[in-house]
Amino acid sequence: MEEELLRIREVSKHFGGVYAVNGVSLDIDHGGICGLVGPNGSGKTTLFNTILGLHKPDQGDIHFKGKCINNLAIHQIYDLGLVNAFQLPRLFFNLSVLDNMLVAARGQQGDRLYNSLFLRGRWQEQEKGLIEEALDILEVVELTQWAFSPAGELSGGQRKLLEVARGLMAKPRLLLLDEPAAGINPVLGKKIFQKLKDFSYNGIAFFIVEHRLEILFDFATWVYVMDKGKVVIAGEPQAIIDDPTFYAVYLGEE
Amino acid sequence: MGASLYILDLVVYIGIFGIVALSLNLEFGFTGLANFGKVAFFLIGAYTYALLSQMGVPFYLCLITGASLAAIFGLLVSLPALRLRADYLAIAVLAFGEILRLIVKSEKWLAGGDWGTPVNPIFPYTGSYIIYRLENIGLVFLCLIICFLVVQLLANSPYGRVLRAIREDEVAAEALGKSKAKYKAQVFMLGSAMAGLAGGLYAQYLQYVLPGMFMPMVTFTVWIMVLLGGPANNWGALLGAALVQIFARGTNIAKDYIALPIDLNDLQYILFGVLIILMLLFRPQGLLKESTIKTKALKLVRNGRRAIKNKGSQ
Repeated sequence: MEEELLRIREVSKHFGGVYAVNGVSLDIDHGGICGLVGPNGSGKTTLFNTILGLHKPDQGDIHFKGKCINNLAIHQIYDLGLVNAFQLPRLFFNLSVLDNMLVAARGQQGDRLYNSLFLRGRWQEQEKGLIEEALDILEVVELTQWAFSPAGELSGGQRKLLEVARGLMAKPRLLLLDEPAAGINPVLGKKIFQKLKDFSYNGIAFFIVEHRLEILFDFATWVYVMDKGKVVIAGEPQAIIDDPTFYAVYLGEE
Repeated sequence: MGASLYILDLVVYIGIFGIVALSLNLEFGFTGLANFGKVAFFLIGAYTYALLSQMGVPFYLCLITGASLAAIFGLLVSLPALRLRADYLAIAVLAFGEILRLIVKSEKWLAGGDWGTPVNPIFPYTGSYIIYRLENIGLVFLCLIICFLVVQLLANSPYGRVLRAIREDEVAAEALGKSKAKYKAQVFMLGSAMAGLAGGLYAQYLQYVLPGMFMPMVTFTVWIMVLLGGPANNWGALLGAALVQIFARGTNIAKDYIALPIDLNDLQYILFGVLIILMLLFRPQGLLKESTIKTKALKLVRNGRRAIKNKGSQ
């Protein structure tokens, strides 16, 4: 039997006395879009940061591709193919949009000191291919004409798009996206989710926090609902919508 | 005769400090490492050169050993210091430089303490200072060109792209798989090796080393060169090195012609301070702005895209 791509068991993370994440267990399958929703402060971003290695879990285990990643450094987790796009874009503002994309590419020859000086032919060849890939992804998020502008010149929504695009550039097995559609116009937001869906057929799995439920529920294959640090419901989007608990935690309705 | 000697001397200094400025530019301009202990590695290179030359070691081995020792010390200092925040790193290496200077000042048995120690010359004096200086210029600029090629190749490679990414946001760079500790340690080693090489050339040219040559002001002078010329631009570092040297000597000459109640040499430090404040206020990017990353593939795409754009506008 093939194991789940990401397996989280009884993970807790507390800050002082507050349990931001409290005994969460969940699985992410290979491929597909998995949603994570819940009110503000329910622990979604903390869970993401714990998966990523930005926080160490206080309890519990996180397995990625069958390997325990609790104690790995962030860059090692990235090497395994688990990549993240931050909620507030953390771009390299003085670098061009294209350079931002190229930093993210995995398995580059030329990012080692020796290779960059002495194996120039090798990485130059590789870089041609990477630029093609980067421009293809930029096309999707409609940033092609900004490719050579500094990332700092982009608008708020465009920065968000570049953050997502950079995550795709790493060709991850699993991409964590924290509110990819926030601050982006509805038409483009939908378009991006459509593209994420296309990418998910190519073997990338997505785990997405999103408050724009009308978009998320159209594309997600599975949804987890968090409240007060715990997963309270899990299921297919339609089942979630039909569940009265969902309205109680999310919309505060009785 | 006197004037040409003076200019040749200036050229040697520009070459030597150009190397140090390039090394600080690699560390600070590209990677964002605030190395306020540059003079420490300069000192290591100079003293290594002096002591080895006295034992009859050939000059190129003296230079290489000095650079290697500086690199090793750079690694040793950087390992604990790189875990610190940028400002603590600055203080830690600043202290390291002063500690080294006080050690060579206090010891008597190795390098003559406060009095310093002579260097065995590689170019025997043939009766003409002009020839002697030209020989030195040849050696210094050969080293400068090699260093410039290395930093320029690094700046325009995926490696340099990672360095700039770490400078911009190290958490994001780490989340994109770049181990900041590895890159920072490598850059610190490489930068220290270049400073050590320059120190060796300095010792060889002056044929003497003493602790007074390695005051913290040397570090700050190199910082002025980089800030003035333009961080993250290698041509800027060279331009800054040249301008600061010319400026320093200009005030030296001017003091013979302008009667002032204070010594212009002391005024130099004040002028440098004013210069830095003015630069940071009005042109924080330096005289030359940051160079973009130019790889072969990027150039191809860029030219291709330009053509597409022109077609569209017609």
